[in-house]
Amino acid sequence: MTTSPHPGSSAPSAAPRPLRVGIVGTGGISRAHLPGWAELGAELHCYSQAGAQEFAAASGATAHGTLEELLAAVDLVDVCTPTPSHPEIVRAALDAGRDVICEKPLALDPAEARDLVEHADRAGRTLFPAHVVRFFPQYAEAKRAIDNGAVGTPAVLRFERTGALPDRSWYADEELSGGIVMDQMIHDIDQALWMAGPVERVYAQQSIATTDPTVRTAHVVLTHRSGVLSHCRGFWGPSGTQFRYTFDLAGDAGLLQYDSAGDPGIVFDTVASARHGAGDGFLPDVSTLRDPYAAEIVEFATALAGGAPARVEAADGALAVEVSHAALESLRTGRSITC
Amino acid sequence: MLTARPTESVEGTTPAAPLKVALMSCAHTHAAAYASQLESRADVELVVADPDSYDDVRGVRMVRSYADAWDAWPEGPDAIVVTSANAHHKDLVLEAARRGAHVLCEKPLATTVPDAEAMVAACHEAGVVLMTAFPVHFSPAVEALRDAVAEGALGEVIGLTGTNNGKLPTARDWFTDVELAGGGAMVDHTVHLAEILDSVVGPPATVHATTNRILHADRAGKGAETGGLVTLTYDSGLVATIDCSWSLPDDAPTWGGLRLQALGTGGQLQIDAFAQHVGGPGRWLPYGSDLDALLLDAFLGAVRQGRAVDPTGEVGLRTVRVVAAAQESVRTGQPVALAED
Repeated sequence: MTTSPHPGSSAPSAAPRPLRVGIVGTGGISRAHLPGWAELGAELHCYSQAGAQEFAAASGATAHGTLEELLAAVDLVDVCTPTPSHPEIVRAALDAGRDVICEKPLALDPAEARDLVEHADRAGRTLFPAHVVRFFPQYAEAKRAIDNGAVGTPAVLRFERTGALPDRSWYADEELSGGIVMDQMIHDIDQALWMAGPVERVYAQQSIATTDPTVRTAHVVLTHRSGVLSHCRGFWGPSGTQFRYTFDLAGDAGLLQYDSAGDPGIVFDTVASARHGAGDGFLPDVSTLRDPYAAEIVEFATALAGGAPARVEAADGALAVEVSHAALESLRTGRSITC
Repeated sequence: MLTARPTESVEGTTPAAPLKVALMSCAHTHAAAYASQLESRADVELVVADPDSYDDVRGVRMVRSYADAWDAWPEGPDAIVVTSANAHHKDLVLEAARRGAHVLCEKPLATTVPDAEAMVAACHEAGVVLMTAFPVHFSPAVEALRDAVAEGALGEVIGLTGTNNGKLPTARDWFTDVELAGGGAMVDHTVHLAEILDSVVGPPATVHATTNRILHADRAGKGAETGGLVTLTYDSGLVATIDCSWSLPDDAPTWGGLRLQALGTGGQLQIDAFAQHVGGPGRWLPYGSDLDALLLDAFLGAVRQGRAVDPTGEVGLRTVRVVAAAQESVRTGQPVALAED
């Protein structure tokens, strides 16, 4: 069991101050971070251009009128804003001497993402990119097994991710979100990098429905320096599409497969499921798992408190942006891009 | 120019005479299954040529050479089934065209585009049926996907992902001999899905491929790829990827499979052509349709009608073009545009 680095239940005589966390941006993903902060007994603060009061009311956080005011009140900043504002907020938080958790992608531009990594180094603070899929137990188990030789030498890896286009206008604007590749598929690009190492070449193709531009798919093919091949397939489906993720990891001595749609732990029949909603197509239903978002938050906080290092570090976030950006360049040019 | 002999008796008079069929070579692992199917049919007289002495096709009339098979009947065979190593398809098919015999040729139709073009042209000029042996074309699951797309049940289809993963064939080393097979997994396993995709959405506009040889590195022949990802684009904007890797571990309970997922504005459909089985720990008892039987039935019907049906030699040629473009993409590292017909 992971122990809290800032336990609220230690000996009364030495009750430490709770970790003070500043959540910047109070949209959808910030809600997914709340159970982790609650588990740590964190004192929550928030700042957002919109919705801060509602978030504060729902979470018990203290809302601040400016970013500066929030930065002055906290130990750690959790950046949950739309992607384009990540760099500015991360730099401000680092400059204020705060450690930072930043939602993926760190930035849309790889040079900017690398600069954030260096900025954190210069500031002597820690920057965690929230690549939450590394904390999904299925992927964590697969990674551990691969590292222990379960498939021998990895050879061909496939990852699929299916959901609905997030119900917020900025996601649909490729200039703001980086589109399906930078927003959704970066998760699986990060998995491919985690499991098979750096990439030599990237080829990507995207198809957007002419009759409904919110429906789109992309294929990203990675040729790793190790020779491993990875295929990432993303899909933002029509309204009503259930969130689904799969992987198929083949090596010269074994094969590992997972499909969230075939995960038979709990099955409601169609009659029962008509009265039971689970998942929204935007974020996966994690109700049957150790909450990966909470596991992520707790692992970051533990690492900051001097515990075991987290399984993802700033440079991983920058690398995922670099490869995703190369995929976007491939989409634009129709060429295979050397990394 | 030779004209193929009519093979169908006038309807309503005498029952059709059995078709005289020569199965040419036992090199391909499918030869035994085809021989068994053909032998069991009352409407076929079968001779099997085994010039390489594999000696593992049983219970049928065997001959030792192609010449003996051509001469097994005074007037020669009505049709041949070509199950030689891929590089030898061309000579057998050209000889069949010269003799006016109809042809069912194993996939891939040929190891080069010029060979495949010559085979299609020769059979066309001779007026003989040329079909390519893609049994999965006849899978009810594939049929369901083809129908769903054609009927618009998936709305506008924008993406397809196909996997044809299997074990490395063990009984026949030529499968990984680049000279005889034309390549490795990308030749062996791309064409099935390329044919299905062709029948669903037509031929692609561009082909990108990347390969490796990490799987079975100790057993595969020199230069034969054992893993590969082939990405196709279409003029409609649709994107498709085929995983053609020999990535099923040797200890898996079945030989492999073929899956295809279609994504559209009307939802998703995924098929698994070999999913139907009774299972259990280490058990895999397939009960699905016998696709070889459906293929042979279609071919024999086409022979009697004197007219090819899908999968034709032409689609076989188009899939060879896809493989050739994929091989060029591997060499250049860039996508390759397919020339217009």
